[in-house]
Amino acid sequence: MTSQWGEPAPEMTIADLMNGLSLGGGRKKHRKPELEEPPPPAESVADNGDVEPEWPLGESGVADHAPVEPLPVEDAAMVRPYAWTRGRTRSTFELRVETMVSTSGRAADANAFAESEHRAIGALCKEPRSVAEVATLFGAPLGVAKVLLGDMAQLGLVTVHKTATGGANKAHLVLMERVLSGLRRL
Amino acid sequence: MDSVGYEDSAAPTLTSVKIVVAGGFGAGKTTFVGSVSEIMPLTTEAVMTSASVGIDDLAATPNKSTTTVAMDFGRVSLDSDLILYLFGTPGQQRFWFMWDDLVRGAIGAVVLADTRRLADCFSPIDFFEERNLPYVIGLNCFDGVLGHDLEEVRDALAIGPEVPIVTCDARDRQSTKQTLITMVEYSMRRWVALHGAGVG
Ligand SMILES: Nc1nc2c(ncn2[C@@H]2O[C@H](COP(=O)(O)OP(=O)(O)OP(=O)(O)O)[C@@H](O)[C@H]2O)c(=O)[nH]1
Ligand SMILES: [Mg+2]
Repeated sequence: MTSQWGEPAPEMTIADLMNGLSLGGGRKKHRKPELEEPPPPAESVADNGDVEPEWPLGESGVADHAPVEPLPVEDAAMVRPYAWTRGRTRSTFELRVETMVSTSGRAADANAFAESEHRAIGALCKEPRSVAEVATLFGAPLGVAKVLLGDMAQLGLVTVHKTATGGANKAHLVLMERVLSGLRRL
Repeated sequence: MDSVGYEDSAAPTLTSVKIVVAGGFGAGKTTFVGSVSEIMPLTTEAVMTSASVGIDDLAATPNKSTTTVAMDFGRVSLDSDLILYLFGTPGQQRFWFMWDDLVRGAIGAVVLADTRRLADCFSPIDFFEERNLPYVIGLNCFDGVLGHDLEEVRDALAIGPEVPIVTCDARDRQSTKQTLITMVEYSMRRWVALHGAGVG
């Protein structure tokens, strides 16, 4: 297997660099050191925001693409789902870590599961579960679970439930209110 | 797009939301998640692999991945159709690529701070501020005493006066619950400040 992600990052160097940064040069503006030991002298490095060699791999580390130029975050968010599917177009199932999936009525017919992975995940999701739970219980990394679940959603084998919409929609505030009262009842 | 139609089956629709729990090594993330979770905190992994493999290949050779980043998560059912997930994540900058996916759609974040090692939360705070994600500081008083005035901590962390700072014992369910309540209330205040309360 060849690396299409280019040279694996020189691990030690990068790690050391990052550690140095997280100990010393973390925050841009501040930060009063009086509550802790003085930080070790930070390496003279460029702004840490530029040092994210791993990100193109992300959860889409299984993707089959050559690395692209690092994009601004917003763009990356749009590009990545397509990377998972090697450029295939896909309907708009947003699978976040917390997204709940459950085996659909259609999937009650076991023959609907041509792939053994789909069968296994279909069995797991008879009870609704989050993407993160599926990954853990199926024993796959998140990125792999997302690809499999995306395929299954496409085939109608699992139902993809709702997540927070965020943004300016009033529904988001209403949802947060429900979360708050739920927490208070705990 | 096609075939989305399967989505609305007769099955009841659930909604899930998440709150991210960040902090340095040993800050109490796993303890925090576990103290309110109805399941044992589970761990999942995001893989960084230098191998270009399809999923089939990866499934066939699961040990080929080079680096994994683990995160803990727990689940809290808030209503019959509403589920809260808590994700506890390592706070190092080299995992930021993972945080981007993680924080998308989050209500907000709790940054657990150990007063003895406040610098450990610098990078999570930077990250959440850059992404405009509401966060609160949960001060874990490991020695039982705070030792610092809350405003001293605010000063040391260089965070604005609006960011809530609460003391929190992650081992205590009520304390964790209260910290989460503070988080959600703050997120709502921020939302209203940004978008207006609208009607009622
Ligand atoms: N006194 C006190 N101890 C705590 C508190 N929270 C956690 N601990 C203890 O601190 C230790 C570390 O807690 P963890 O929850 O494992 O911390 P973590 O952030 O998940 O640690 P890593 O995953 O290793 O980064 C455990 O022994 C906990 O019992 C707290 O609020 N007060
Ligand atoms: Mg932990």
